[in-house]
Amino acid sequence: MSSLCAEPNVLSSTLSFNPARLNAQKARIRQLEHKEVRFPTPPDLLAECDREDLSWPRRAARLIRRMCEAEAPFIHADEHIVFTRRTPSVPPIYSPTQWEERTRGRTLHELGPISNICADWGQVLSQGLLERRRVAAETRQRLAGDVEAEEFLDCAVETIDAVLDLASRYTLEARRLGKLDVAEILERVPALPPQSFHEALQSLRLLHAVVWMGGNYHVGLGRLDQYLWPYLEQDLKSKRLDIASAEELLAEFFISLNKDSDLYPGVQQGDNGQTVMLGGCTIDGHDAANELTRMAIRVALYTNMIDPKINLRINGDTDLALLMLATELTRKGLGFPQYSNDDVVIPALIANGYDPKDAWNYTVAACWEFILPGKGMEVVNIGAVSMPLAVDQAIRNGLEAGDCFNGILRRTASYIRGQVRELAESYSHLLLPPAPYYSVLMDGCLESGRDLSCGLKYNNFGIHGAASSSAADALAAVEKFVFQEGQVSAEELLAAMRANFVGHKELQDKLLHDAPKTGNDPEADALLSTLFDALADACDAVQDNGRGGRIRPGTGSAMYYVWLTRGKTGNPCEVPIGATADGRQQGEFFSANLAPSPQAQVRGPLSVLQAFSGVNYRRICNGGPITMELSDSVFSDSEALNKCAMLVSTFAKLGCQQLQLNTVSLSTLLDAMDHPDQHRNLIVRVWGWSGYFCELAREYQEHIIARNRYGD
Amino acid sequence: MQSGMIFDIREFTVHDGPGVRTTVFLKGCPLRCSWCHNPEGMSPAPEVIESPSGSRTVGKLYTAERLSTILNRQASILEACGGGVTFSGGEPLSQASFLAEVIAQLNSIHVLLDTSGYATEDDFRLVAKLCNLVFFDLKIMDRALHFHHTGVDNAIILNNLRALSTMDVPFVIRTPLVPGVTDTEENLNAIAQCAAQLRGLVRVDLLPYNRAAGGKYAALGKDFSPAYDESVPVQIRLGCFESAGVPVRVAGQVPR
Repeated sequence: MSSLCAEPNVLSSTLSFNPARLNAQKARIRQLEHKEVRFPTPPDLLAECDREDLSWPRRAARLIRRMCEAEAPFIHADEHIVFTRRTPSVPPIYSPTQWEERTRGRTLHELGPISNICADWGQVLSQGLLERRRVAAETRQRLAGDVEAEEFLDCAVETIDAVLDLASRYTLEARRLGKLDVAEILERVPALPPQSFHEALQSLRLLHAVVWMGGNYHVGLGRLDQYLWPYLEQDLKSKRLDIASAEELLAEFFISLNKDSDLYPGVQQGDNGQTVMLGGCTIDGHDAANELTRMAIRVALYTNMIDPKINLRINGDTDLALLMLATELTRKGLGFPQYSNDDVVIPALIANGYDPKDAWNYTVAACWEFILPGKGMEVVNIGAVSMPLAVDQAIRNGLEAGDCFNGILRRTASYIRGQVRELAESYSHLLLPPAPYYSVLMDGCLESGRDLSCGLKYNNFGIHGAASSSAADALAAVEKFVFQEGQVSAEELLAAMRANFVGHKELQDKLLHDAPKTGNDPEADALLSTLFDALADACDAVQDNGRGGRIRPGTGSAMYYVWLTRGKTGNPCEVPIGATADGRQQGEFFSANLAPSPQAQVRGPLSVLQAFSGVNYRRICNGGPITMELSDSVFSDSEALNKCAMLVSTFAKLGCQQLQLNTVSLSTLLDAMDHPDQHRNLIVRVWGWSGYFCELAREYQEHIIARNRYGD
Repeated sequence: MQSGMIFDIREFTVHDGPGVRTTVFLKGCPLRCSWCHNPEGMSPAPEVIESPSGSRTVGKLYTAERLSTILNRQASILEACGGGVTFSGGEPLSQASFLAEVIAQLNSIHVLLDTSGYATEDDFRLVAKLCNLVFFDLKIMDRALHFHHTGVDNAIILNNLRALSTMDVPFVIRTPLVPGVTDTEENLNAIAQCAAQLRGLVRVDLLPYNRAAGGKYAALGKDFSPAYDESVPVQIRLGCFESAGVPVRVAGQVPR
């Protein structure tokens, strides 16, 4: 392994523009002033939809049209990039009875509408909506007689016209207020391709905001530093912009993403999937990081808000200077950036059926799952396999039946298979509602006359293999104490687990402190790999997910680290689990994503990275980050920043897949629980997203505080 | 095959030497410094720590083979990060022959010894000669005051320091700044004068007092009763080092 040492680098992270104007914008947003211009109710569509007996696609298009019409323009005097959402929610397009009829016997994913994918923003920006309209018209002519195609294309055009109309009303309002620069920009975009970085940002803001208004959510922004770079490069070359003015524009764009996010669906405030992916490689494998990549990180340092979620693609050779700049962002404590390792992800995507001509362009969905912009109608989070449940059932049933350890492993694999089969069966009846506007932004819908809900080039599903470390630890404890050393009999262990370890303290301590643990001991790490191999086998067995795709296994946990221990009705894996063989008592949390179990005392980040480098990511390709908490004392000097950057480089060199590095100050978190009003802007990484700590439910707060922390 | 009592192995310890390091904390120390922030390192025997999340036993026996195997697993990563392994504690030299056996089984890796210097000269030389760098604590120069605050005579320590400066191992003198005790003009001046005579000295590190020192005592069922006032700010005196021509650095501070 070559040496990674570098001099502490002077890559500047300081901003060059005067932040006064934008500080005012940030303050207004944090004080929720933008909510004051919201209307009390959204438009009511049901009557007209029923009266005209509109089909589903036509209702979806009408929704976009009426929502855009309802958006009376609002421009604040200090804005250079405009749009403030005024409709307070997305109204239904079917009555509850009609909806029940339409969806009976089918499976809906989460709230129903298509979510958690990424548009091809580069394409729609560079063509402009008028060109997209022309493409739709051309296809309509070519496919004349295909009723479904004609209807879809009419719907798509209806939504395009709605957005163009919205833009022109904003133009009028801008003129009325004497903001001629804004007016001129909106006269061009999003109708036409942008001719400047400012125009591109304004176009993106509007195009992106409208997607949410159709009821779609977790709307990712993709590889923004790639598709916006040509516009910025041109402006810098022609000296229309300098670095300072470009930063200011980008910062205003980032800030604007925080305005409407309270309206967006998610598990908690902040879980809205406004994801930005930076860096990575070009189609011919060269380093794609550019000036805009670095600028985006610097701007995120300044804005310090929960949106957008900054992701960075790296590989084992990524410049240490870039990693140091990214580490400064880590130091802020937002949980940004999340890192994805191209060296591992791209070959895995290709091995799993993705075209090499597409795989290089991957981004991530709302949290971490890999997806291709414009080409993936993929449901990357159909659910989770509860690894602890499969293992716990296997241990209890296996020990009772007198199994050997391999017998328990076989049971585990079969229970995992069962969980996957159940989920796959349920999702084979997946119903995706039409999304004519979102279709405009994808690759091929307008060109082929097919709505996004009919599918795109890639139509896979993803499953989380949740709480895997806890599961591996339970297996490791049984393997060592019951089978290898014979220290504990099956009866003893079963009795202790049934009693929730009450009255069995000595045994519990042994299981907690003397058994091998994932992240510390190779015996447990090997069992982790075994569990994921079983998950991959189970997913492989599903030849067709019902949409011409497969099922991708992943390593994430999402919210399941809480739900699996408490149980939630209706979901096959969310059966509450009692005490487990790793010494964990009923109700205690499992780990989130790839992390050692919260009950384990691990040596630190290197062992953790080594442990998780053993997972076969060639098969386990859905994503799911290694999650690490670093104490803020780690960042006390520039030497420490360098060491942290080297840790990230090590992550990539070891062949790990994804990394989420968080900074926490325990004392700050404890203080924030007691005095939330003094920590209103404290942001923490939860699992796939960051949120304001004081706005999180108590159990999420407690889990964050309980996590393993390195560098104290 | 020898065994040693270890109370922690912690990775990514960013303040225990150059580069990314893994630190092994050996249990047991002959000193009883009232400012010690690792009280679980004092006794050589396993102890119980009570915390809100339950109780755990601190102190585990490792064979030299087991410990070196664990460390060797990350040897190449640590090397690539310009780091290595640090042996600290407690007082690592209290288990000198075990430690020498561990180091002998390590693959190519940078080894740092973090010691109070309180050991027989034989034990000191046995381990120090195997190391790439030594962090040598020098707390108090005055013999009586040293005995009063640490419970031991510093003659042995100063003797080992002189021995160190005749060996081919570079070293750093580390002085914890305890308010009113070690940070006096007299003490720091005496340390500077001593340091100026030593061959092989890389620099002196001054370590401002760690206010979290008292945190772990209650959990161990111990009393934290320092003979100094914690709230008094430490005096960071660099002048005496500079005028003696001794490179000096303030370590572990948080510049905000």
